[in-house]
Amino acid sequence: MEKENNSPKEQLVDQRGLISKKLINENIDNDSLGTDHIGVEILAVEPDNLCKTISKLKTFGFNYLQCQGGYDEGPGKRLVSFYHLISLGDISTIEKVMEVRVKVFLSRDSDLSIPSLYSIFKGSDWQERETYDMFGINFIDHPCPKRLLMPEDWRGWPLRKDYIQPDFYELQDAY
Amino acid sequence: MNNSLSPKAIREIREGTCNPLGAPQVTTDLSENIILTSLDDLHNWARLSSLWPLLYGTACCFIEFAALIGSRFDFDRFGLVPRSSPRQADLLIVAGTVTMKMAPALVRLYEQMPEPKYVIAMGACTITGGMFSSDSTTAVRGVDKLIPVDLYLPGCPPRPEAIFDAVIKLRKKVSNESVFERSKAEQTHRYFTIEHKMNLVFSENNGEYLNKKSEKALDASSNQEFSESLKEEETVFIDSEE
Repeated sequence: MEKENNSPKEQLVDQRGLISKKLINENIDNDSLGTDHIGVEILAVEPDNLCKTISKLKTFGFNYLQCQGGYDEGPGKRLVSFYHLISLGDISTIEKVMEVRVKVFLSRDSDLSIPSLYSIFKGSDWQERETYDMFGINFIDHPCPKRLLMPEDWRGWPLRKDYIQPDFYELQDAY
Repeated sequence: MNNSLSPKAIREIREGTCNPLGAPQVTTDLSENIILTSLDDLHNWARLSSLWPLLYGTACCFIEFAALIGSRFDFDRFGLVPRSSPRQADLLIVAGTVTMKMAPALVRLYEQMPEPKYVIAMGACTITGGMFSSDSTTAVRGVDKLIPVDLYLPGCPPRPEAIFDAVIKLRKKVSNESVFERSKAEQTHRYFTIEHKMNLVFSENNGEYLNKKSEKALDASSNQEFSESLKEEETVFIDSEE
């Protein structure tokens, strides 16, 4: 589970990481969030900069979107979409798999829209649909922006912290 | 009487113990050649010996159920032949969690099965929701909220032997039924339906995008950048220990 906003890991760090610096050199604005417990560098970008950032990271060699997902920081707090990129290559030549995590923070009262990464990584298709399904984050230009797991006419976003389960007959306890 | 005696031995005992007139020839012939039964029993015997289950499974319970198909457990000896169509099935073993998204499909499958039909709710998930009953947003808490259940088979998942036990108990239930009482057990209007004035529409998202060849959504500059980096075949890896 991710920590809350006031934990040190989510705070901006003065010392930029290597990838963050490289992106700044390419005129892509980003905030560095330090590293996680195994040393994976974490960046935060604005939604407008996301496509630029990810495609630049792809040219840097991060050629595989290992995971896309979302989480909720808490009731009234921000919703986050994260992208975990790794570098894959020939197993005989590659020495170490490089990893980076990019996060997009969205204020709960904003329109919650992020550009879709489908045009860059096709694997983001269902993952973005699931994030939309569970958190209500809209992925602009996604080719199939439907719910993935819940019924298509479902109301509400089940994995948000402030979600309240409707009292369906089918969902009531079996006694 | 000892059942293990052969018919010939029984005949000899009867002849030896009867009065001097000898064994009653007519009744002996009758009892040896004619089976007297009721039509109900015959009908039930035929039905219970060919309970064809629908191949329905949504989770780990079906793994146990599928083990029965193989030669180790071999449920063909109970006359269970798995059917892939609900129209040919008598028995629905609901194996696995039923979600609210799956529920309409399950009800539809059940309604397409011909009467008389039987349902075994297999496993904790189908009985109460099981481990999903506390906080799941979608798992149906007990499949008996959707379709009538004849037999509850607990377990998480139940062993294949337990499924046999359930089938044997269901066979006992089938053997006690009567054609004349069938109308009492028939389903009445379970589902409330009303006329609606909605139009059937189809989604614009038909999945065709998956077969798309070109990448028009990508802007030209970054597309060029990708193709250049692919041509070089040498991606620039960032060394973290710089």
